[in-house]
Amino acid sequence: MSTATPKAAAALPPVVEFRGVTKTFNPGTAHAFTALRDTTFKVEDKPGYGEFVAIVGPSGCGKSTILNLIHGFDDVYPPTTGEVRVRGEIVCGPGRDRGMIFQKYSSFPHRTVLENVLFGLELDSRSFGLSRSGMHDLAHDWLRKVGLQDHVRKYPHQLSGGQQQRVAIARTLALKPGIILMDEPFSALDEPTRYEMQRLIMELWHTVETTVFIVTHSIAEAVFLGDRVWIITPAPGRIGREFIDIIPATRDRDPLRAQEDAEFKNAVTEVARAFREMETAKPGAAKA
Amino acid sequence: MTGDQPATPTAEAAPKALPATPLWSLRIRERIPPWLVWLLGAVPVAVLLGLWFAVTAGPEAEKRVISPTILPSPTEVVRSFPQLWFDRALMRNLFVSFGRVVEGFAVAVALVFPLGLFMGSFTKIRAMFTPLSVFGAYLPIPTLVPLTLSLFGTGEVQKVVFLALAFGIYLLPLIVAAVDGVDDIYLKTAYTLGATRAQAVRKVLLPVAWPQIYEALRLGFGVGWSYILLAEMVDIGRGLGGIIIISQRRGPREHIYLVLVVIVALAFLTDKAWQLAGRRVFRWREKRR
Repeated sequence: MSTATPKAAAALPPVVEFRGVTKTFNPGTAHAFTALRDTTFKVEDKPGYGEFVAIVGPSGCGKSTILNLIHGFDDVYPPTTGEVRVRGEIVCGPGRDRGMIFQKYSSFPHRTVLENVLFGLELDSRSFGLSRSGMHDLAHDWLRKVGLQDHVRKYPHQLSGGQQQRVAIARTLALKPGIILMDEPFSALDEPTRYEMQRLIMELWHTVETTVFIVTHSIAEAVFLGDRVWIITPAPGRIGREFIDIIPATRDRDPLRAQEDAEFKNAVTEVARAFREMETAKPGAAKA
Repeated sequence: MTGDQPATPTAEAAPKALPATPLWSLRIRERIPPWLVWLLGAVPVAVLLGLWFAVTAGPEAEKRVISPTILPSPTEVVRSFPQLWFDRALMRNLFVSFGRVVEGFAVAVALVFPLGLFMGSFTKIRAMFTPLSVFGAYLPIPTLVPLTLSLFGTGEVQKVVFLALAFGIYLLPLIVAAVDGVDDIYLKTAYTLGATRAQAVRKVLLPVAWPQIYEALRLGFGVGWSYILLAEMVDIGRGLGGIIIISQRRGPREHIYLVLVVIVALAFLTDKAWQLAGRRVFRWREKRR
């Protein structure tokens, strides 16, 4: 576990890499809780494509912990043991190279929709090399892409849940992060809005080509969105099962239509079965 | 549906009014019309005024229930107003008092606002100053009067220092709570968008906490009116408190009651002004309810 790793000789280091990561909250107390145990994975960089990793698992397993570790939020980071690397570098705190979309609506209440999207750009406008008007153009551009062009002057409290998440998507993508982390972003939305958002994510992700991690409790959503679907075991969590390209690429397809396919439904059934096996296998597995 | 009784078709057409609740019934969280709100509010005031008239009725002092030297009648109080206005220079003294409140408030805010912001933002700074703040919270404010008197004499400085202390003690925990109450999600979002520590404080914690901080300032300013009298009633000087002391020692008694009404009116009006200004500034917050 040497920290001084030689700069990877390979062309591109993995986008995200976990090496034997264990996270125990409140260690040494009666409330000690191991959310993640000895988790190792690599997600390679696929230039010009990016990859979509969907994470499902029973509630209370370490799904969100994985995202929080990648981001380095200090209420979770650092891991108890192991290393979390992003592009070969050990994570040392949050940064705008990793965008995050939360389940909770997180638009700044004192800023309009437009100002919310401008927020990240304004924080460090020099590094983006954008003038004021350049930033405005970019923000308007992203607001158009998420379909909020008619709401730019509204304040967050005037928006619906779906619109709030569109703002979150626009403000995240405007910064062109290499990694996007989504923690149950659509869980609070109603069904039609969810499909709407899935379509939007598929469309946009296409153009930004970033690696996406999405935690969701909907297996169908995971199968539809994910190139890879990970099932996390009950706590202490590990990646219990991985499905790669379980269905043919669903990009450009209408979510509602695509999710009617027999093939899609079979895939969901298969993942659901694996999910259930994982859950019932809990007592034995947890002892490991 | 043909009843024996001649049905009233008009009642059917009109949207059915809720069965009128008798005035004396109490329902939890009942919705009542505005006129009733005013009416109900006026009743105790009217009763109180009526009582006042009753116990001070009669032209001869000896025949009154309460002697006019203790409690003058409402008409006597109102009649003494010109004297208060001209001889006792009500307006000038009012401005003196108001000015002191503003000065003490400004000094307190200048000190406590940054401190509260930092305490609300940084755990270590909060840990450092919380004991002092807690001590202040349980400190009986009137005890600060003799303390500041012995340190600063009876001049203007003492009054402003006393008011600043009283305001500061009141405001500090409220400002800390306002900043502390900002949801973590906004901070996390800011970090994921690349905010530095300074930007997180300046562009997230402060602006999101502003409405609560403003509310604290408003409440604090209102409390200031009771402190100003404490500060001014220690000697016969300028200010509304001075008028009360003079009126108590030399009369007329009527002025005490008048000054009380003036202070309440002034405090009420300034509070309304704070509210109005707040509603303009924090338009983005409109929605609650």
